[in-house]
Amino acid sequence: MSWGYLLRRLAQLVPTSALILLVGFALIHLAPGDPVLALAGEHGDAEYYAFMRAKFGLDQPLHEQLFTFVANLAHGDLGTSYVQGRPASQIILERLPATLLLTATALTIASILGLGFGIFTATRRRAWQDTTATTVLLATYAAPVFLIGQALILLFALGAGWFPVQGMTSAVTPSNGFSHAVDVAHHLVLPALVLAAPEVAVIGRLTRVGLLQELGSDHVRTARAKGSPPPMVVGKHALRGAVMPVVTVIGNRVAHLASGAVVVEVVFGWPGMGRLLVDALRDQDSPIILGIFLLVSLTVMTANLITDLIYVWLDPRVLFS
Amino acid sequence: MLRRGSALVVSAVLLVSCSTTEGTPEPAADSPVRGGTLVAAITADPGQLNPAITTSGDVHTASELMYNGLVSLTPDREPVGELAESWDVEDNGALYRFHLREGVTWHDGEPFTSADVKFSFEKVLLKYHSRTAASVGQALESISTPDERTVEFRFKEPYAPFPLQLDVTEAPIIPEHIYAGTDPLENPANLEPVGTGPFAFESYKPGAEIRLVRNPDYFIDGQPLLDEVVLRVIPDAESQVIALEAGEVDWLFGVPGADLARLEEDGGFEFLRTTVNPGGSNCIMTVSFNLEKPVFQDVRTRRAVATAIDSQQFVDRVLFGQGKVAEAPISSGIDFAHADDLPDMPTYDKQTAEDLLDEAGWIRQGDGTRVAQGVQGIPDGTPLSFGFTLFTSFDAYGDLFKAQLADVGIDVELDPQEPDIFAETVFVDRDFDSNIISYCNGADPEIGVKRMYVSSTIGPVPFSNAAAYSNPSVDSLFDQARTTVDPGERGEVYRQIQEILVEDLPYFWVVETEATRVYSSRCGGFSQAGHFAEAAYCRQ
Amino acid sequence: MRRLARPAGVIGATLTLALICVGLLAPFLAPTDPRAIDGPSLSPPTATHPMGTDALGRDVLSGVIYGARTSLITVSGVGLLVFLIGITVGIVSGYRGGWLDDVLMRGTEALQVLPRFFLALVVVAYFGPGTDRLVIVLGLTSWPLLARVIRSQTLSLRRRDFIEAARTQGASDYRIVVHELWPNLLPTVFTLMGLLTAQVLLIEASLGFLGLSDPDAVSLGYLASEGQRFLRVAWWLAAFPGLAILVAVLGLNLLADSVGDATLRA
Repeated sequence: MSWGYLLRRLAQLVPTSALILLVGFALIHLAPGDPVLALAGEHGDAEYYAFMRAKFGLDQPLHEQLFTFVANLAHGDLGTSYVQGRPASQIILERLPATLLLTATALTIASILGLGFGIFTATRRRAWQDTTATTVLLATYAAPVFLIGQALILLFALGAGWFPVQGMTSAVTPSNGFSHAVDVAHHLVLPALVLAAPEVAVIGRLTRVGLLQELGSDHVRTARAKGSPPPMVVGKHALRGAVMPVVTVIGNRVAHLASGAVVVEVVFGWPGMGRLLVDALRDQDSPIILGIFLLVSLTVMTANLITDLIYVWLDPRVLFS
Repeated sequence: MLRRGSALVVSAVLLVSCSTTEGTPEPAADSPVRGGTLVAAITADPGQLNPAITTSGDVHTASELMYNGLVSLTPDREPVGELAESWDVEDNGALYRFHLREGVTWHDGEPFTSADVKFSFEKVLLKYHSRTAASVGQALESISTPDERTVEFRFKEPYAPFPLQLDVTEAPIIPEHIYAGTDPLENPANLEPVGTGPFAFESYKPGAEIRLVRNPDYFIDGQPLLDEVVLRVIPDAESQVIALEAGEVDWLFGVPGADLARLEEDGGFEFLRTTVNPGGSNCIMTVSFNLEKPVFQDVRTRRAVATAIDSQQFVDRVLFGQGKVAEAPISSGIDFAHADDLPDMPTYDKQTAEDLLDEAGWIRQGDGTRVAQGVQGIPDGTPLSFGFTLFTSFDAYGDLFKAQLADVGIDVELDPQEPDIFAETVFVDRDFDSNIISYCNGADPEIGVKRMYVSSTIGPVPFSNAAAYSNPSVDSLFDQARTTVDPGERGEVYRQIQEILVEDLPYFWVVETEATRVYSSRCGGFSQAGHFAEAAYCRQ
Repeated sequence: MRRLARPAGVIGATLTLALICVGLLAPFLAPTDPRAIDGPSLSPPTATHPMGTDALGRDVLSGVIYGARTSLITVSGVGLLVFLIGITVGIVSGYRGGWLDDVLMRGTEALQVLPRFFLALVVVAYFGPGTDRLVIVLGLTSWPLLARVIRSQTLSLRRRDFIEAARTQGASDYRIVVHELWPNLLPTVFTLMGLLTAQVLLIEASLGFLGLSDPDAVSLGYLASEGQRFLRVAWWLAAFPGLAILVAVLGLNLLADSVGDATLRA
């Protein structure tokens, strides 16, 4: 892989980031509503509003607010949360690990199960296993996440008592070290499964379609004709081509997982970034909203870059376009 | 002159806990025990834990156990001493002198003095606590501290409601030695609070939980009983109920109406009904008519809408019994001012509504809708249709309102909005026809009632005079009520105000809401709000 | 169409058709106005209310039927926008390459990193819930995945023997795209469209769960999320709308899938 290509791709991130920043800022600051009204609750008066506006620089013209925001951003400062009075970056970083743990676990589960299902269904085309597996897969994808979540809680947490209902740790017995890890893992099972369920379907089905295409293509037919055993055919030739759309999807699902985690975090009381976002939206706490917006966008950007690099690695022909 | 002791607090707190289990309650749960942990569910992450800089219900719910006010309020909303042992009222209610309790210390061991009170008000409450700033701040002249145990508040003119605005919700006292010279919004102590309250801070995991431990030096002897209180953040109401049933939490501040009946049947839980909510107390769901809109110029149209509303159906199908039909403009929770026998107060009567609409010139068409025929300010043939602006979370009210009015031929368009956007649309832009707001009356009409009706509060202040109602005699009656100190006389003034209001109908008062606290039967000794767990206990 | 005659394809086609019919004919099929107070509060399914009633006493069956209509409108709107933009950008970018590819892909990428559900959340939270806003936000932001996958397939296909062959025989770009490229892209397009439109239904539901759906337009997502609040006392409130969403998503996907398969075998 050429370093020039990599550098070119990295350089392209700059205008993209600027655009994202601008869209996010414009959307939030041009929208109706006033965070100071949200802060005051039921009983503010004009004096209070003016005081708070001045405090957060909201009395400045919009372009100056943007300038300040960008200047601060250059120092890694997202501004101060209106509600919490602390740096927004600090607040977001506190909540990030919980979301990372949840999404990474879900993505791992989804990738493994998804590829497995894809290969299983593609190689058993027209067989009843294909139909059954596809339908089961689709059913988990087709039901609203919060209903699946609630159903699992009722069945396995309240009903069977195998898993805790809410949160990331137990309330009554604070644990340390190894027992803490076990406690978190115990709490992680249900939310990670619920978050992974639709991803399994997406990855599984695209693997299947990609595989079917490859299995029907000339070079695989040639391999078959030459008498390679079927597992070899699937493994060696077909999977390589089929992995392309899957890589695209996994790269793309990072965004989806991060925002999809919002609902799962609310249902399971998981203390992550998604719930921070819901709270911030309610309070119009724009430093936090913008911060999460930028963070998620940046993550997706990185994921896309990696996706593209994997493309090049899998199929160097792309580079010559 | 007024002097009250603090022993009242304890007995009052123990009295409110009412058991709804039939027959004899479990003897075990009735005898308080020491020690143990209480796990309570809270709905949202507070973000920070300083109740003096915000009116946010989330922050107050999470932090009030660590702080105190000068007074606390009994379940009947009567003020009794807390950090203040007693107080004198002089100059006909323009001067309040508080005598502070001896030997109170902050959680870090520093002594609590009158300087803390002065600092809390001047530097923090009157700037950042929007409710106290807007009410007390407007009337206050100065605060002085003659000695370490005495603090005096001087008002520009007699200010009757002051003692009701001094509990931990309205005026929590924070330590000067920690906050002096800092920006109170950004002081690190907001995340590791130091208070005087029954529980001291232990740890805060944002989005997850807040752990509090017993304050061994608390100024009420023998309290608190619990070793530890854990406040768990559980955002979804249904999940809160499940967590309670699974035994993961012991206390819920509220429960969806439909689940309440089920929990009552299942047993194993105790219930505590209250009109005190984190957002305020004595709340009435109130429909505002925008009097600047032509459609609501005619009082007959407003009265028609009011009589077309079947309030009982709201109690049954939206609140599931957690509330009651409003019988007067002022809440029944403010006993001295509530006038429940006003003949003009509208009640549900479909025929009257139909007749009034006909009279006002809204004529029924073949398809059931109504159009204008000689209505002033409205071209003939205009269909009777108006917008109804509401919080997204109040959608059930909107649905029922729409359905009930459709019954008499009125078309309603729902316009749900997030709270802060609602505040801007309704109170700043005034771009709405009608709306519904949970107006919390508070402990005194001066706090939560007056703002809805006086002409000086028309304008950009949220949750003030939404109807843009202006009536000089109402204005002067409210002035008179504020400076009248005798409760009986004040009540009479408020009665006169309500007589005018039910005649003019700038609003319609639908239902008084209440919440139900639910807790595990192994626990007991709770009070409604604020220091809900001050005297609580849990058997392990 | 004979190729569709597999069980999955038939089921998918039937379900999708049923969704469309119910949506189109809602005013004739529904027993009552879905907003009318028509019975007791929280009545379980009975002969008069086959899917029970909600807390306010409204007929759930009528709600589901009208909900299908709302959801159909939303899904069609978003689907159309995504299809038009996604296909055009993907093919042009992959087939043309060069600077045009660069420009289009930078634009696509910038849009793709805007987290879609998040954007919908912000827009709905700030501008108020509404079907029109939802269609525009989701339509204008959902196409990048389709565009990128189409582009990557076009890139691979472009260098394949049969396209090269067509080119050496002097076929025009238009001809190559429509006759050689397009049939090979179809499986992916259909599969992705199935997944995308289904996602729209689910996003609608999730917004409802977070309290951000439009009560004036009864959608399946709104009903399911309303029902979630009564999960323990009135299962029918969440179950029937939830089932309707499941059936719709399943139908769309099975149909898309079998069309994809059928084209493969062609």
